[in-house]
Amino acid sequence: MDIFASIKAAASGLRAQSGRMRVIAENIANANSTGQTPGADPYRRQIPVFKTELDRATGVTTVNMDRVAVDRSDFSTRFQPGHPAADDNGMVKVPNVTTLVESMDMREAQRSYEANLNVISATRRMVLRTLDILRA
Amino acid sequence: MSLLDLPIFGALKSRMQFHNARQVVLAENVANAETPGYLARDVQRPDFARMVQGGPMRGPQQVTMPVRTDSMHLAGLPSANGLRQEEVRSFEITPEGNSVILEEEMMKMAQNQMDHQMATSIYSRGMALLRTAVGRSA
Repeated sequence: MDIFASIKAAASGLRAQSGRMRVIAENIANANSTGQTPGADPYRRQIPVFKTELDRATGVTTVNMDRVAVDRSDFSTRFQPGHPAADDNGMVKVPNVTTLVESMDMREAQRSYEANLNVISATRRMVLRTLDILRA
Repeated sequence: MSLLDLPIFGALKSRMQFHNARQVVLAENVANAETPGYLARDVQRPDFARMVQGGPMRGPQQVTMPVRTDSMHLAGLPSANGLRQEEVRSFEITPEGNSVILEEEMMKMAQNQMDHQMATSIYSRGMALLRTAVGRSA
């Protein structure tokens, strides 16, 4: 197996984690996005789903963001009668986004991203070490 | 027999191949650290001591590989370089069925790097020794 296959695997990890970051950013940005009409559904939280893929050219298993699923959990409500999205009882549905959960997810994505970067630099050092044989 | 067919060089060469293959597998583990249902893998360590003692090489070099004549062909079996992969028994599996522990993988990677460095150092030392033998200052 080619040593550069490991860089390929790590790069796929970087791409997947940054895609996850993007989804998390969308969730946090829309944490307060309610509906427009009375009783309308607000923004629904999105969840990135990862999938293992086999890279045919190198035979290495990479990771890819398979799809972005939606969080099926219930919306919470808030009493705000003057709001355009308020229903007859004056309740407004708010998104099922918990910013605390999102920031924890973000930390995890960050950590995985760093781990993949470390893999790339470790592989690079190994290649350079092998090239040093020529120089000796 | 050329100078580089000495058992020690053959063993070092297959040792470096082992570390390369292990690096790839560890990279796959780290990349899939959050993929549901992914089980961490590792490469089985060949018997290097036997390679050094046992005359001609029976290492990873002598494996026949199928030729890829089309870009849609798979690149042989995962064990095509004569190294066997296995799933590691992890003490922790997440609810989504992932058994990768990031810290453990980083530790294995550091270990792998040090071992690889040792192999390359010994290899260049061996070359220097041969160079001394043929009468050029190393």
